[in-house]
Amino acid sequence: MSSLKPEIIKLNSSDILRTTMNDYFLRLKIANETKTKNIAWCTSVGPVELLYSLGFEVFFPENHAAMIGASKEANKYIPTATAQGYSPDICSYLTSDIGAFLQHETPLQKSGFTSVPKPDVLVYNTNQCHEVVDWFSFYAKYFKVPLLGINTPLYVHELTSNVIKSISDQFKALVPELEKVAKQKFDLDKFRDTIKLSQEGCALWKKILETAKHKPSPINFFDSVIHMAPIVVMRGTQHAIDYYKILLAELDERIKNKVSAVPKELFRIYWDGMPIWYKLSNIAKLFSKLDSCIVTSTYSNSWIFDDLDPANPFESSALAYTKLFIVRSDDIKQNVLKEMMSDYSVDGIIYHESKTCTRNSNNRFALQNRIFKENHVPYLEINGDMNDSRCYSEEQSIIAIETFIKQLSTRK
Amino acid sequence: MYRVGIDLGSSYTKGVLVDDNNKIIDYHIVKTGFDFNAAAQKIIDKFSADHEIKYPIYTCGYGRDEVKFSFVSNSEIIALAKAVFKKYQKKCSVIDIGGQDTKFITINTLGTVDTFKMNRKCAAGTGSFIEEIAFRLNIPPIEFNTYADHASSETRINSYCTVFAISEIVGLIKKGIPLPNIILGIYHSVIDRCLELSPIDDFLVITGGIPDYHPSIVKLFKKKFSNCESPEKSQFMAAYGCVLLNQ
Repeated sequence: MSSLKPEIIKLNSSDILRTTMNDYFLRLKIANETKTKNIAWCTSVGPVELLYSLGFEVFFPENHAAMIGASKEANKYIPTATAQGYSPDICSYLTSDIGAFLQHETPLQKSGFTSVPKPDVLVYNTNQCHEVVDWFSFYAKYFKVPLLGINTPLYVHELTSNVIKSISDQFKALVPELEKVAKQKFDLDKFRDTIKLSQEGCALWKKILETAKHKPSPINFFDSVIHMAPIVVMRGTQHAIDYYKILLAELDERIKNKVSAVPKELFRIYWDGMPIWYKLSNIAKLFSKLDSCIVTSTYSNSWIFDDLDPANPFESSALAYTKLFIVRSDDIKQNVLKEMMSDYSVDGIIYHESKTCTRNSNNRFALQNRIFKENHVPYLEINGDMNDSRCYSEEQSIIAIETFIKQLSTRK
Repeated sequence: MYRVGIDLGSSYTKGVLVDDNNKIIDYHIVKTGFDFNAAAQKIIDKFSADHEIKYPIYTCGYGRDEVKFSFVSNSEIIALAKAVFKKYQKKCSVIDIGGQDTKFITINTLGTVDTFKMNRKCAAGTGSFIEEIAFRLNIPPIEFNTYADHASSETRINSYCTVFAISEIVGLIKKGIPLPNIILGIYHSVIDRCLELSPIDDFLVITGGIPDYHPSIVKLFKKKFSNCESPEKSQFMAAYGCVLLNQ
């Protein structure tokens, strides 16, 4: 264990990230206040390109819920949603977001908002989970605005032409409904341009995450879950591309100068599952103290859409948003995880079983045992939740993580 | 000069005094309470009354870093594995049942930890589960052994949750189920929670405060697993392991 003080080595780009995000929220704020642009709410791996191409400003409740989690305020709001009949066992992004809304509070108040921006339409994709439909339905009813969506099946094993055609058709079916809200005609060329921007942004994000293949890694999981914000909310815009060029340049410079994300990288770890937002900084310091770098994760890699293609915007959107890890069968997930663990030369993998996020908890159907039998990379399971701190025992987790790293040290 | 290992657990703080031949000379246990340092200091005071002790003190457990004297902290899981392997010198699985945690550890032929798991956050399968039920039944926990030994048959307790388990027990009492059968069911509930952690396919060692104070649980484990042992004073093994890790 390092005798150095636990340290988080901040990326210099963080200041530019803050500006980029402030500008994004400012655009939303202006649209909300002046009504000069329509606002769509969208799921984080939803059809954002379609929305940006139709001139919407786009707000992401999942991003908002993660902000609530990171601000450590989720447990102030979850009981309010629970009292309204939303079970504490369902998605804590949903319960903390709706709870905050019912209490007339939002982390955006720090950015000058009085409330979340009012939607003109809500658009979901169930590729991550089906709870987003209930979540968005609450707001659609409250604001009396249309709720549109793409219903992607879960546990997709083979990406058959039938599956892709069905989803592509659903993308196309959104167009006339969105045109009505946007009060403008859909322009295929604009859509192609937006897909191209998304493709470019994703390629940069992928390169950024892949810098972690270097030893020592210039970036860790805790950086990536913060710096992924533009690929989530500004995918399909030049803003994301501009930011990621800066971030990638900094990481390349770090590699050149052998600057690592943690002061001393002895162990390389994979993180599967959701971030524990309310303890992000504590956990980052713990790994730093233990000379360990979480080099890659399922979560931050979930916003790489390699298959987007401006030549076939609808079909490629359907493919890209269905090929996603979370949509796939456990057999596919097993292969992806094994490959990632090998590509990033990890010494161990941590599965965070998030109490209220079944879809992002990959150790519930013995996947961890099957992978271990094949690659013998040690694993640790941690019980917690992305937003609901009642589901997390910090003391127990610290003991488990410290022991895990000790266990890894005996294998070196 | 003697070395001291202290396991600062959530319920109890356990200490061992160890000589130069790695022999345990003395044991001491105190309730942890709210002050880890005070609890550990009581152990040191007890040992240093008759022996010259060597610093740093080797610690593990929840309060391992919360002491004011010179110390070296360790993982209690690694420490426990070290002590268990020293005693048995073979590959084994360990189930450690403490006040707040239940741990499952596999130790390989080299004596290092291969895998480990801990119970989920709640008290199911831990000492707190037994203590809380004993409090509600107004029976000293240690007397559970006698009751369980007199059970004519086992009554299953289904609930994970301590509070719901108590409601379930109240229902069983109302139905006229004999108390010994209920208490045997409580013991089985603890065992079931342990066995959910991982399959066991080799030599099994049971450690922790619960087997020390509830030997009936060890008997029940032995009925299920013929190749099973619980060393004497097993709740001190992690403290002992801390000393062994630092020689």
